[in-house]
Amino acid sequence: MRAPFTFTLPPELRAKEPPERRGIRRDQVHLLVIDRATGRIEDSRFDKIDAYLRENDLLVFNSSRTLPASLRGCAGGCGGAISRDPADAAAQSSLRAVGSPPEAALHAHGPCMEVRLAEHLPDGSWLALLLCEEGDPFGCGLRAGMEVEFAEGLAATVIARDENIPRLWRLRFSISGTELVDLIYRLGKPIRYEYVSAPWDLDYYQTVYAKEPGSAEMPSAGRAFSWKLLLDLKRRDIDSAYVVLHTGLSSYMDDELDARHPASEEEYFVSATTAEKINRSRSNGGRVIAVGTTVVRALESVVDVNGGLQETQGYTQLKIDCQHRLKAVDGLLTGLHEPEASHLDLLSAFLPAEQILAAYEEAIQRRYLWHEFGDLNLIL
Amino acid sequence: MSKLAGKNILITGASQGLGREMALRFAREGAAGLSLVARHIDQLNAVRDEVCEIVKNRIDPPSPSYGAASIVVIEADVSKPRDIERIVATTLAQFKGRLDVLVNNASTIGPAPMPNLLDYPVEDFREVIDTNLIGPFLLIKNALPAMIERGGSIINVTSDAGQIGYPGWGAYGISKFGLEGMSQTWASELQETNVRVNWVDPGNMNTAMHRAAEPEEDPTQWANPASVTDVFVFLASDESKNVTGKRFQAQEDWKAALMKGAAPSAP
Repeated sequence: MRAPFTFTLPPELRAKEPPERRGIRRDQVHLLVIDRATGRIEDSRFDKIDAYLRENDLLVFNSSRTLPASLRGCAGGCGGAISRDPADAAAQSSLRAVGSPPEAALHAHGPCMEVRLAEHLPDGSWLALLLCEEGDPFGCGLRAGMEVEFAEGLAATVIARDENIPRLWRLRFSISGTELVDLIYRLGKPIRYEYVSAPWDLDYYQTVYAKEPGSAEMPSAGRAFSWKLLLDLKRRDIDSAYVVLHTGLSSYMDDELDARHPASEEEYFVSATTAEKINRSRSNGGRVIAVGTTVVRALESVVDVNGGLQETQGYTQLKIDCQHRLKAVDGLLTGLHEPEASHLDLLSAFLPAEQILAAYEEAIQRRYLWHEFGDLNLIL
Repeated sequence: MSKLAGKNILITGASQGLGREMALRFAREGAAGLSLVARHIDQLNAVRDEVCEIVKNRIDPPSPSYGAASIVVIEADVSKPRDIERIVATTLAQFKGRLDVLVNNASTIGPAPMPNLLDYPVEDFREVIDTNLIGPFLLIKNALPAMIERGGSIINVTSDAGQIGYPGWGAYGISKFGLEGMSQTWASELQETNVRVNWVDPGNMNTAMHRAAEPEEDPTQWANPASVTDVFVFLASDESKNVTGKRFQAQEDWKAALMKGAAPSAP
């Protein structure tokens, strides 16, 4: 059941650049605080977040690292993928540059496209959005069996269209494992939407605590945290724990599909340390505060009926909305989401839709900024 | 010989000299994972083969997994920020997000023979600073998240030219002065975490870099880099878990100096 989340977002409220490029620190963005019990809304600043937290509260972060998930490739004219021997990739890898510059190494036999990696699947293949460079972004003859050639000898075979999200295709690259990670970092750029003013370096798309590479887009709710703030909170017995959930794409460049945003399958990992911290925090009367909707998805996917957690790894398709009874998470720090975004459905598990809309109207009046470089919303 | 059992370790400048010797020694000491970084892939692959041979022959395993190690070699230039991001991402992909030890060993002396500062080309000066100072800064910044939860050890390789302004050691010496200052600052800022930061002056060693820097000197008077690795094993291991903010001289009696508290602490 969908909540009626429709509002008009003035285009100038889409954050065009990182806070550091707007003349403020990353932790000086606005913070809209909503009290779940009373519905009270407060306008604050992120570096004052400690005023809303208390001893034994636990912040749970998504430590997935953002990939430079936008690659440029061209359909191969002769159909032959360039293969590399993956034989020794299991225990030891040798990551070598071929040496030719990306542009020069492309043989543009067929139409060229932007390949936006969305998700790494359990069988080693990837889901990706393929956007043709010229004309209709989906109209350059994309089809199963197509070979896509990238620079530096990387190639991929288009296997099939995804059944769940038909704008996505399943690809298999010619190499895998750390060899592929290395080449993605050599060749790729961060995915950039049209409201972002410049091709900012990948560094701007990382949280300070990012570890394992795998997210197509930055898990941006935690972007405002600095190490200084994290250490200050730790001194006040507000601890941190980490889960990994590699995020997929927030847009499929298709309005109808984006409006319904079918839940994709995302890989998560909850460590024993994190499970233990969460269980301990709850038993000590602390609140578990998810930093980002990805963390809510991961924790609510693995929590048992009694609210307990243990070390777990897997894939989730959990869709959270107003029908969902939260068992693992008490609060949420999140960005401000587009009208109709599925994240707003998730917020309705924390608050009635009317309260969310009232808060969003206030955020618009106060000229809050939306999206990955924008302001934040704390729901407690 | 299992002081480093279970440890995942990243070493820059691992294709030759001290970096190579550290890789071999760490493998003998039971390291679980080695990420070896350098600009020259052929030399790196040769080191990887030597490491694999050591790992295969490790005896008296304390655990069933002791006979195996996860090894990745990465061709990269630490003077390039984009390469640093790739080094860390690839290493953490290989080690599943866990890193215990970072050794910032890669460095360049700049043009050889080394010009005096008066004659130093600014582009060469920048390249030395990028490699020897900004590279380690960015590596620490990027690798820190993988260490901060479980604790870890950062070891920066310095030089006596980082304490004394020798004529002719221009940009290299200045970069090492900076590295020592930066190491102190990192150690101070991370004091309340389980991540420790120390720096080691290995002393004069018979390495290709040193021979290029001082071609008129007799290299046989300098130490074999294999003979100075004890202090690095100590700092990488849990034996040094309470040691941070210290400067070590590998060819001195560093254990005695540590006991006496002679090594300078971070303020």
